[in-house]
Amino acid sequence: MIVVSLVLAGFAAVTLWWTMHAWRTPETLASTRFAAPDGEHRLTFSLLVPARHEQAVLEHTVQRLLESTHEGFEIIVIVGHDDPETAEVAHRVAATAPGRILVVTDTNEQKNKPRALNTALPYCRGDVVGVFDAEDQVHPQLLEHVDHAFRSTDADVVQGGVQLINFHSSWYSLHNCLEYFFWFRSRLHLHARKGFIPLGGNTVFVRTDVLRAANGWDGTCLAEDCDLGVRLSSRGAKVVVAYDSAIVTKEETPGTLTSLLKQRTRWNQGFLQVYRKGEWRRLPEFGQRMLARYTLTQPFLQAFSGIVIPIGIAIAIWAQLPVFVALITFVPVIPMAANLVFQTVGLRDFGLQYGLRTRWHHYARLILGAFPYALVLAVAALRAVWREYTGKRNWELTAHTGAHLTKQPVKAESGVAA
Amino acid sequence: MSIAEMPTQVIILPDVPVQPEPRPAPVRRSRTDLYVVGGLAAVVLFFMAWNITGFPTATDDEGTYLAQAWAVQNGQGLAHYTYWYDHPPLAWIQLAGLAWLPAMLFPDLIAVAAGRIAMLPVVAASLVLVYVISRRLELSRWAAALALLTFGLSPLSITMNRQIYLDSFAVAWMLAALALALSPRKHLWHYAAAGAATAVSVLSKETMLLTAPAVLVAMWQNAAKTSTRPWAFGGYTSGIVLVGVFYPLYALLRGELFPGEGHVSLIGAWQFQLMSRSGSGTVFDEGSGSHSLITSWLYYDTVILAAGLVATVIALAVRRLRAPAIAATILAVVALRPGGYLPAMYVVQILPFFAIVIAGVTDEGVRRLEPQRSWWRWAILGVAAATALTLVLPRWYVGDRRALTTDDNAQYVAAATYLRDELPDPERATIVVDDVLWIDCVDAGFQREKVIWFYKLDLDTAVARTLPDGWRDVDYIVSTPALRQDPGSLPTVTKLLTNSTPIATFGPEDGRIEIRRIDKEKP
Repeated sequence: MIVVSLVLAGFAAVTLWWTMHAWRTPETLASTRFAAPDGEHRLTFSLLVPARHEQAVLEHTVQRLLESTHEGFEIIVIVGHDDPETAEVAHRVAATAPGRILVVTDTNEQKNKPRALNTALPYCRGDVVGVFDAEDQVHPQLLEHVDHAFRSTDADVVQGGVQLINFHSSWYSLHNCLEYFFWFRSRLHLHARKGFIPLGGNTVFVRTDVLRAANGWDGTCLAEDCDLGVRLSSRGAKVVVAYDSAIVTKEETPGTLTSLLKQRTRWNQGFLQVYRKGEWRRLPEFGQRMLARYTLTQPFLQAFSGIVIPIGIAIAIWAQLPVFVALITFVPVIPMAANLVFQTVGLRDFGLQYGLRTRWHHYARLILGAFPYALVLAVAALRAVWREYTGKRNWELTAHTGAHLTKQPVKAESGVAA
Repeated sequence: MSIAEMPTQVIILPDVPVQPEPRPAPVRRSRTDLYVVGGLAAVVLFFMAWNITGFPTATDDEGTYLAQAWAVQNGQGLAHYTYWYDHPPLAWIQLAGLAWLPAMLFPDLIAVAAGRIAMLPVVAASLVLVYVISRRLELSRWAAALALLTFGLSPLSITMNRQIYLDSFAVAWMLAALALALSPRKHLWHYAAAGAATAVSVLSKETMLLTAPAVLVAMWQNAAKTSTRPWAFGGYTSGIVLVGVFYPLYALLRGELFPGEGHVSLIGAWQFQLMSRSGSGTVFDEGSGSHSLITSWLYYDTVILAAGLVATVIALAVRRLRAPAIAATILAVVALRPGGYLPAMYVVQILPFFAIVIAGVTDEGVRRLEPQRSWWRWAILGVAAATALTLVLPRWYVGDRRALTTDDNAQYVAAATYLRDELPDPERATIVVDDVLWIDCVDAGFQREKVIWFYKLDLDTAVARTLPDGWRDVDYIVSTPALRQDPGSLPTVTKLLTNSTPIATFGPEDGRIEIRRIDKEKP
């Protein structure tokens, strides 16, 4: 009992430590931002937008990409041969900007995102391949920043920030938004620095030659983004992460709890697949391999502790264990509760950075929803293990409604040169 | 238009040099600070340790805390009697972790004397932290050294810090919190650790909570104009709440959080201490307990208290000195408030803050004077320093010499020796003592249950139950100044004293210790 509690506390403390990476000192926080661009456009971009049953949001996304201030980019929309509605939208938009937009049809029998991306890879002519989802709201100045980031840091991969915005939609979307906030604002920077990074699914930019040398994406993996990051890290690619609230790519949370559960199951299962592939074993340093092992199994550790800690405490109280032992079972709660305190601060920071009003009931929702949300994550983790174990590896897609596409002014964080 | 035709500048670029991530430059600090603080702390510790067993007189409180630490060491709970949440237990838990070593190394010393040696590392930590805080408040090296020496060599400080008080632990932890809140790297986890240290400090001695605002101010100032300030406070809050909550949690798990029939409780103890405890009067009332207590502090050292008060008022106006000045102000105001209860060891808490503000105000004064500008400014400085030294040194010399030479505990040593060597069959006897001799009696072979702290005879029903025939079940009573302190308030003790005859007497009249045999046949 004591050992389990202390081990759990250790895990929770390490996770907390890493989650808070960006805010450790003012210097670390400053280093996580994009450097101010020099205004020169020297790289060319091929922006891939895979779209599947996303006719409702695709046009808006592409129009917004076209507003980009950068001069050298092309957009490649990838549609399925069995999805005429989306294809129709794609072709109509392509006609408005000939030469800028290319529509590629994916004829793979089994459709998923990595296969769609691989289909488009041979058509890419830019120096850098960028990936966006069909529902993304991309800032016009993003490419300029990325261009500069590639040149100034000599990077092979640049991961931009992605942020879920609609925290007001439901109780779980608040937690989902904050998860993204902490992941992209903080945790990914730690991974980039340590040289092991599971990339995000979009706003990720890879040098085309590096991507081709790595044979593109893994068409069978449910977390192709994570997998790509792991493979590129293992080959020693230099990854740079930059987060800037002013030019972050905005997304929406899954519309229903079920779709959140499915999405999370897919990611978790993807992480599990990446872990089993063992590509991470090629990482040169022991510390990196441990970080990889820890990161890829983290969803399961998290789910495990989310269930075990309350059970442990319940046993300690009802089974009348000695007070000393009972106190020890509460130790893992310390980092978890500290995490909640930091999330409260994070919610405030999030609201300030994005010019969104956070009210008292949002904070109440944050505190009260913490445990139910942990339960959802635990269920997703268990589902992922079950599906992987029983060999169900199909792609459960998340539907998008466009809840984030309201016009909201974005207030730049102080000190950001956008 | 394809990409190739686009108006993109295609230029062969020279390699762009890799820009390393902006890291704080490694702080290349000279080792001078290390040598200064090490050397000075060693000197002070020598003064602190020399004759630590002889001066000052062992008090009942010291014995109580040590006996509670003994209970923790021996797995007998948090106190040698029912723990009733009078103080949070962390200080004597720490004491338990330290006290076994001197007890093992010096088995011939009486328990309280050996326990005092365990206080030396605690004082050492406080000394170093006073220096570190001073440096982090941008005091010059000489001023930080002055703070350390003022805190270390004041006769009042030597007297109080030698004794086994919970306050010394609390002070060390609160100083640690202050030092962490002033972290030069402004590191999030330093702030969180500051919160945890604050909680440990308050759980060592609850009154230390009064100084927590100083830590908050230090943090507020240190994190000013940084992007991470809200996170810093989040870290601090997490630290203080999550460590602090374990105390009520302990009470809750034992079913002793809320008051109820037949058991002690945390909230009940708070109610008693905040509402029912009688005050010790106003300082300004000559007959009051507070007045005589403060007079006794002034007797040991007027300098640090008077200079500290003056410096505190000035330091409030200086931004970098505001944090320690706030701590000193709150403590001073609470001490001087009318009608409250003032514990005997209260002054321990204020001394380090007084030392820091005295040195800080001196530093500020010298900076404003800018002596390098002309010779007469140097002269003013020289005269001021000489005056200060002539005022301070003779007084401190007298006080410190007293601390280094007086033996006030000879009678306790003699009594403990007698109890160990002369008293027949201690295994079966019941003895009533003060807490100074409690552990010594247990070590002498008395049964733990039959060594009774005099205070519990009348106030602990569980103790009364072990004596079915009342005072006649007691065989001996050791009468000490502490036991005779409040005649008449403890009826059983009074009865024991009247119905007994001394079999051995030690020490001079005012500090007399008598070992008395109970005359059971008396009516």
